[in-house]
Amino acid sequence: MSERILIAIAALLAALILGLAFFWSPELPERPLPMAALPPGGDFTLQSSTGPVSLKDYRGKVVLVYFGYTYCPDICPTALAATADGLKQLTAEELTRVAMLFISVDPERDTPARLKDYVEFFHPNIVGVTGSSESLAEIAKRYGVFYARQKVETAGDGYVVDHTSDTYVVGPDGRLLSKISHASPPDQVAAEIRKRLNQP
Amino acid sequence: MKKLSMLITGLTLATGVLAGAADQLSVQDPYVRLAPPNAPATGAFMVIRNGGDKDVKVLKADNPVSRVTELHTHLNEGGVMKMRPVAAIEVKAKGEAVLKPGGLHVMMIDLKAPMKEGDVVPITLTLDDGSTKQVDAKVVRPMAAPAPAPMPMMEHKH
Repeated sequence: MSERILIAIAALLAALILGLAFFWSPELPERPLPMAALPPGGDFTLQSSTGPVSLKDYRGKVVLVYFGYTYCPDICPTALAATADGLKQLTAEELTRVAMLFISVDPERDTPARLKDYVEFFHPNIVGVTGSSESLAEIAKRYGVFYARQKVETAGDGYVVDHTSDTYVVGPDGRLLSKISHASPPDQVAAEIRKRLNQP
Repeated sequence: MKKLSMLITGLTLATGVLAGAADQLSVQDPYVRLAPPNAPATGAFMVIRNGGDKDVKVLKADNPVSRVTELHTHLNEGGVMKMRPVAAIEVKAKGEAVLKPGGLHVMMIDLKAPMKEGDVVPITLTLDDGSTKQVDAKVVRPMAAPAPAPMPMMEHKH
């Protein structure tokens, strides 16, 4: 029960921060800044159906990271289909240097086994991972991801999860390099991956 | 006897609804997105055109494969995608309503059995005047939204 309250407080705080971020702009710069700074990102370890997976296990590869959940009725399939179609445009050689992690922010319902079948439906290179709500919240914060449960009576178990729907691009050295916005066309996904693969 | 009268009432209603706002509507490219394994819900999408002179509202959708069917939309609030039920989908006179991933859609919640590619799901739309329209939506694998059509060339012919 107290965990529920903590989650509720965390969600409230997150909403407040997000709200402030959007609406509170004491000094508008005269011109927009050249590029919004990327969140810090960084390493993490979560559970897959075959055991723990760390971001650093993929050093040398470009890693796409997406935060979602399997009960996601529309947004995740839309985003994953677009990204998977982008992956399908890569050559077999390029694909050996690309990985994708689907991080479920709904650990209550998403077991690693459940995630496995779900993600492989989209593309064999996608690995489904999840973890404790605390570790997920901490990772989400570092990646600038927002998610929050929302009560919807008819949804499975009575809730959906609102969430940001960008795909994060992590370079071969583990640094967060860019974001691919929700459901970008496959051409753009492939182009972004190639750009990062060929970066010195 | 009671059953018979219900049947008659039903038939009368059915005849009645045939000549409703449904006749003004045409539906293009209806499809249901094949739900990934373990996903308990999926969406149906289509373009609903209204050829008539009166605005029409779709109040309800039904289908035999999911336990719950709702009309939904997505709100993108600062990058946070929020799916919410809507009371109605309006199709303006001589206009159209586009139901597509990330926007308005028919939500099929709690699927009774897994679907497979190529299945056809009959979806019944109920309109604000009580008339209904059945749409046969084919089940297709999730795909990226088609690239937007190239901008038409600006032509300056006089």
